[in-house]
Amino acid sequence: MTRALELAERAVKAAEGDEADASVHVESSGFARFAASAVHQPTLIRDEAVTLRVVRDGRVGCATTNRTDDEGLADAARHAAAAAESSPVDPGFAGLQEPAPVPAVEGYDDATALLSPEEQAGAAAAAIAAAPDLGLYGYYTSGVTEIAVASTTGLAVSQAMTDASVLTLAADDDSSGYAEATSWRASDLDPAAVASEAAEKAADTRGATPVEPQTFRAVLEPYAISELLFYFAFTSLNALALLEGRSYLSGRLGEKLFDESFTLWDDGLDRRNYPKSFDLEGVPKQRVLMVEDGVARDVVWDRRTAKQAGDGHVSTGHALAPPAQAFGPIPFNLSMAGGEAGSVDELAELVDDGIHVTRLHYLGVVDPREGIITGMTRDGTFRIEGGKVTTPVVNLRFTTSFPALAAGLLGLTKDVTLVNRSDFYDERYPFGTLVPAVATSAFTVVGTGSGPGL
Amino acid sequence: MWPERAVEVQVLSSAWEGARGRPFRALRAAGSNRVSKVRTAVQDLAGQAIDAAVADGAGYADARVVQRRAQLVATKNGEVDSVSDSETEGIGVRVLVDGAWGFAGDPRLSKEGARDAAARAVAFARASATRAGARVELTPRPPAVGDYAPTVERDPVDVPLEEKIALCLRAEEGMHRPEVKITEATVRAMREQRVFRSTEGASVTQRFVECGGGIDALAVSDDGRVQNRSYPSAHGGSSAQAGWEFVEGLGLDREASRVGEEAAALLTAAPCPSGVTTIVVDAEQMVLQVHESVGHPTELDRVYGTEAAYAGTSFLKPQDLGTLRYGSEHMNITADPTTPLGLGTFRWDDEGSPARRQPVVEGGVLAGYLASRETAARIGRDLGGSMRADSWSRMPLVRMSNLHLEPGAGSLEGLIADVDDGLYLCTNKSWSIDDKRLNFQFGTQAAWEIKKGKLGKLLRDPTYMGVTPEFWGRLDAVAGPEEWRMFGLTNCGKGQPGQHAHVSHGTSPARFRDVQVGVRS
Repeated sequence: MTRALELAERAVKAAEGDEADASVHVESSGFARFAASAVHQPTLIRDEAVTLRVVRDGRVGCATTNRTDDEGLADAARHAAAAAESSPVDPGFAGLQEPAPVPAVEGYDDATALLSPEEQAGAAAAAIAAAPDLGLYGYYTSGVTEIAVASTTGLAVSQAMTDASVLTLAADDDSSGYAEATSWRASDLDPAAVASEAAEKAADTRGATPVEPQTFRAVLEPYAISELLFYFAFTSLNALALLEGRSYLSGRLGEKLFDESFTLWDDGLDRRNYPKSFDLEGVPKQRVLMVEDGVARDVVWDRRTAKQAGDGHVSTGHALAPPAQAFGPIPFNLSMAGGEAGSVDELAELVDDGIHVTRLHYLGVVDPREGIITGMTRDGTFRIEGGKVTTPVVNLRFTTSFPALAAGLLGLTKDVTLVNRSDFYDERYPFGTLVPAVATSAFTVVGTGSGPGL
Repeated sequence: MWPERAVEVQVLSSAWEGARGRPFRALRAAGSNRVSKVRTAVQDLAGQAIDAAVADGAGYADARVVQRRAQLVATKNGEVDSVSDSETEGIGVRVLVDGAWGFAGDPRLSKEGARDAAARAVAFARASATRAGARVELTPRPPAVGDYAPTVERDPVDVPLEEKIALCLRAEEGMHRPEVKITEATVRAMREQRVFRSTEGASVTQRFVECGGGIDALAVSDDGRVQNRSYPSAHGGSSAQAGWEFVEGLGLDREASRVGEEAAALLTAAPCPSGVTTIVVDAEQMVLQVHESVGHPTELDRVYGTEAAYAGTSFLKPQDLGTLRYGSEHMNITADPTTPLGLGTFRWDDEGSPARRQPVVEGGVLAGYLASRETAARIGRDLGGSMRADSWSRMPLVRMSNLHLEPGAGSLEGLIADVDDGLYLCTNKSWSIDDKRLNFQFGTQAAWEIKKGKLGKLLRDPTYMGVTPEFWGRLDAVAGPEEWRMFGLTNCGKGQPGQHAHVSHGTSPARFRDVQVGVRS
């Protein structure tokens, strides 16, 4: 039995006499953060958090604690019960998950779990050493996370996950390049190679010049399309947004909205991503096909939204932990189908005349209903001329429609890349998107910014 | 950034802070002798941690013990959406070994937890030292010793949940309109104790009490268009270091009818036109403007590049201090961790530097930076203390505390009266700014056209964009003290691993000439 499941079962017992479930997170992680080629914020974290949900006659209350002794769990039970007692009946509550078999998944690697602080710092040092001519900024991190859900229904599920990521920005005053890699096996990562990629990219960004704002044909590297896709997914591929009319897909399911090459799904069982066996209500993960050959098919669901829809939908296993469910269900294992292109260079040929975008910065959703997102390009933006990547371009302000971008796909690489999407706020929960690089006819630039570099 | 990422989700627990409050219960339940014992026990743990760090080879060590309890009540469409009560506690130990930093956090408030955290912090510092760069130097500080605690009328955590739920449901009622499909109300409450000790002799205990709330209305038209309005602020409303009387004073139910009406009216409003025009920005949106285009670029760690890979750097350089023209002469920005009710108010920051009000921009000229002891030593100036950590499990970073746009003169009406043709922009909706904090595009929930000094029709989907010093250079008036409002935000993100900061900004409405508006995709 994992530590997380032991805690979950103890927490449920602490809520004696009530219907209850408990979701538990146990973390041990290290973060070797570096700047200007020096490790400056090395952080080691251990924590365990128990979220207990108590149900009394249809009234629901939650409490979270990291005090996991008996007194702490008893206090959490008391707080959750008081919250339930204070609340009116929740007609949207879909009940507690009944026991159900959950799929076995990969996603745990002993060697990654056992990485020592010395090894984490060593990986950061290897990255730094590989970019000797520029300052290197970023981090190497690895961690082990246990998740468990137990319930008075008899539900008892748990999973251990490992994750490792290296993120690098190689930069000086006039140049900057970016590369990252992530996996649940630290042995898949080569920090030196990632840093070298960033440094090589940086060298090509010197002497950047502006371009006239317009709607460009563009190549987006996996780092860039991953971020756009996740922002779109958060606001539109979520059943709560769909039901409330905020999603781009509201009223549009079944319609062909995107290019035929755009196929998108969420699959917690995919070993190439960060595999997940169940969601944070203990519901088994299902593969959900969301866009098929450009046709909008579905979004992800949790128990609450499935009940709210009232049309036979069931949870697809995408719930957050109870107090966070106001966000609705979230697709944490997005995959975008690859295409035919053998390389990013082939995508540039499809674009012929346009821009190449490595990475984006600080996205904001301008209009969720229409899928309009703004942000900046950074750390590797280039012109494409005559089907070739040519000269560097300054950072560009884009305000673009994701649906238009996906409707204007010109090509996708065969290979897909896992891109980390966690910024490691609060509890660690590894997730990423599996995406190809893409070429599109519709990436709208509305302004120019400063040049690459620090 | 603010909020750090629009899609950053706290996956596993509350979307608000976790919390823990045993010592507070003890403090309330017991007499003064018991109070002293509880505090002393926590201080002893912090002392044991720094002693252990020194024994393991640290040249400097500090320890923070944080215990927090928080509640969130959220209602939606007349039903309770979430009632949660959370707590967290732990110890964070920061060390310098051979001039290199190390940090470790542990949830166990025990001798074992304190000593393990210290040992691990030292080990990580030692392992990192080969790639730690120049030896870290800290600007000297007299050791901080003492206590800090706010005075509140009603501890917000102790206010019955039933009362919180009733307030939310009452506020929601006023927003109802046929076009308004989603109404939401939230209130939050938090109390926290932070004990800090260092090998330099610092020993402080600080207590913080926060609460806040807000309402939102989402209107949806028959043809699927969506608009929203919020009060008193988007992104979860506004909070303060105050008792429950602050939430009661927000007037959520008083403003609900207007919020619902405006959300509905936006469905049939004309779109904001594109062009270059004069804008008057309301106090709430000015909060975002100050936060993004002044607060973050004046964080000295960003100036030195330590956030380059994630949040970005700054267009400012160390040598710009005292000379760089940031904006017009109407621009005066002050960092003030002593402001009553501010979420960034403290007596000492999280490395023991005392709170001090200081100018950041004076008459349009860069006059200060937000700094740590390390960055202050590097720039060679004492710039006060702005180091804050979002919990026991994170290393302190240079953060905003309370950063204010100082008021000018006159009323909002006066600002508008001097506009022949322009826009009045209200309440943040979208936000994005580049990695050097120069090129920004912000959107607001609503705008009203201004024609010949009078407000005209409502406009939907307004956006404006600019480049920071050019934009602030177009500031030609700031409304006076009677229009100055302070907003408290709980979602400022920064750092890897990510950290949230609670910050406040006081602002008055302000007027800018020749601004690009109506950006379209």
